[in-house]
Amino acid sequence: MEALKIEHLRKSYGGTHAVDDVSFEVREGEFFGFLGPNGAGKTTTIHCITGISRIDSGSVKLFGIDAVKDYRAARFKVGLAPQEYNADFFGTTYKTLDYVAGYYGVPSKKRKARINELLERFGLTEHAKKSFRELSGGLKRRVMLARAMVHNPDLLILDEPTAGVDVELRHELWKHLQELNKAGKTILLTSHYLEEVEMLSSRIAIINRGKIVAIGDKSEFVKDGKNLEKRYLEITQGESW
Amino acid sequence: MVNWIGLYTLIRRDVERMFRVTGQTLVTPWISSLLYIFIFGKVVGSRIDLIAGVPYINFVLPGILMMNVIASAFAHSSSSVYFQRFLRTIDEILVAPLSHLEMIAGFAVGAIIRGLVVGGGIYVIAIFFGGAGIDHIGLFVFYTVAVSTIFALLGILVGLWANGFEQLNILSTFVIMPLSFLGGVFYSVTMLPAKAQLIAYWNPFFYFIDGIRYAMIGTRESNGVFGYVMIFSLVTVLGVLVHELFRRGWRLRG
Repeated sequence: MEALKIEHLRKSYGGTHAVDDVSFEVREGEFFGFLGPNGAGKTTTIHCITGISRIDSGSVKLFGIDAVKDYRAARFKVGLAPQEYNADFFGTTYKTLDYVAGYYGVPSKKRKARINELLERFGLTEHAKKSFRELSGGLKRRVMLARAMVHNPDLLILDEPTAGVDVELRHELWKHLQELNKAGKTILLTSHYLEEVEMLSSRIAIINRGKIVAIGDKSEFVKDGKNLEKRYLEITQGESW
Repeated sequence: MVNWIGLYTLIRRDVERMFRVTGQTLVTPWISSLLYIFIFGKVVGSRIDLIAGVPYINFVLPGILMMNVIASAFAHSSSSVYFQRFLRTIDEILVAPLSHLEMIAGFAVGAIIRGLVVGGGIYVIAIFFGGAGIDHIGLFVFYTVAVSTIFALLGILVGLWANGFEQLNILSTFVIMPLSFLGGVFYSVTMLPAKAQLIAYWNPFFYFIDGIRYAMIGTRESNGVFGYVMIFSLVTVLGVLVHELFRRGWRLRG
């Protein structure tokens, strides 16, 4: 089954087509890299998947569930770590996770255990009572990731999760994401660190000016002695896929 | 099926936010009410004859209480929606499996609770000045909850509409405050000239204040049935409007 199936998705802001007839799918259990230059339509696509933006036309299905018609059932399936920090700056790390788990209907006892597990996993236990604004950039990023996972979703959407993160944490995160993927979680990752996408992803799509310009297995991008970065630049600069 | 845990969490978060800044949300209206009760009720009121058959402090207290309930409920929901939009923390709610009705209820109930806590505090303050009394407890609860609901919903509307701090305060400064004062907080509308009385009867705040006054001291100047119809109509119209805006994602979803 497809974890995510997007068909003919269109989204415009004013007269600008941010996403223009985009179709692709992410298979269950896949680690999917979603690449594109700034303003290409990655975040808009993610916003349409998660309900932050309205869809102009087309459809988004999550594990077969329509993300518009049956939005409540669909949203249980997804966890989003956004590009921008959007947590309450005055709320503590623990409360941030607690509230979001609550929104997803996680019962109190289960919630507590899950939060403690995530605090431990992301090295946030000693920062649990600190407000979000007191945390460093790297710690804020960890909170965003823990928040995305707090309701144990089947599909994780990570929009540039390692931006502004130090090398040590980046490596830790990679390891953790690989473990999650091995455990069966489907992951959609956007990143400007192409070596990260090359290392983690099994399939990759490139979006440019609102359109999917390339999609395929990683091996189709990384061949003939070219790495992903070189191939990516060729594609986004106009070479055919 | 209702996401009860999600709804409860939304309310809990809003209430905890209220208690995070009690100086602003609770202590400020209590202090200003204390001053109103002391100056208008006790100092000035001791030199005023009975109004509607009761001492001035008993007459003025329901209006002061209702004025603060209105202001608190409105400020709570408008600031909650606006700041969550402004900081995009509202995305946490938008991506969650919560229905539009649950989201609205979450914002509204938090505001109603704040209105009731502020109103309760003012009532306790009034006890010390001998101005507190309740004739019809059921109506007292009805008016405080129903009017809080109206202004909680109105606050959500303004929180959605506002694109800056100034817009957030416009309704409060130019509509809520003047209409509260002109709705008979400090005087009986019978004291007004005939033409001004006619205008007063078109002011919805007059029915809110007169209603709570009836619940507290047992006398009223307005038509009670008209007041109930207006309150129910306002709750319904505002509720439907807010729900439609949430459904469309107006100023919430890109």
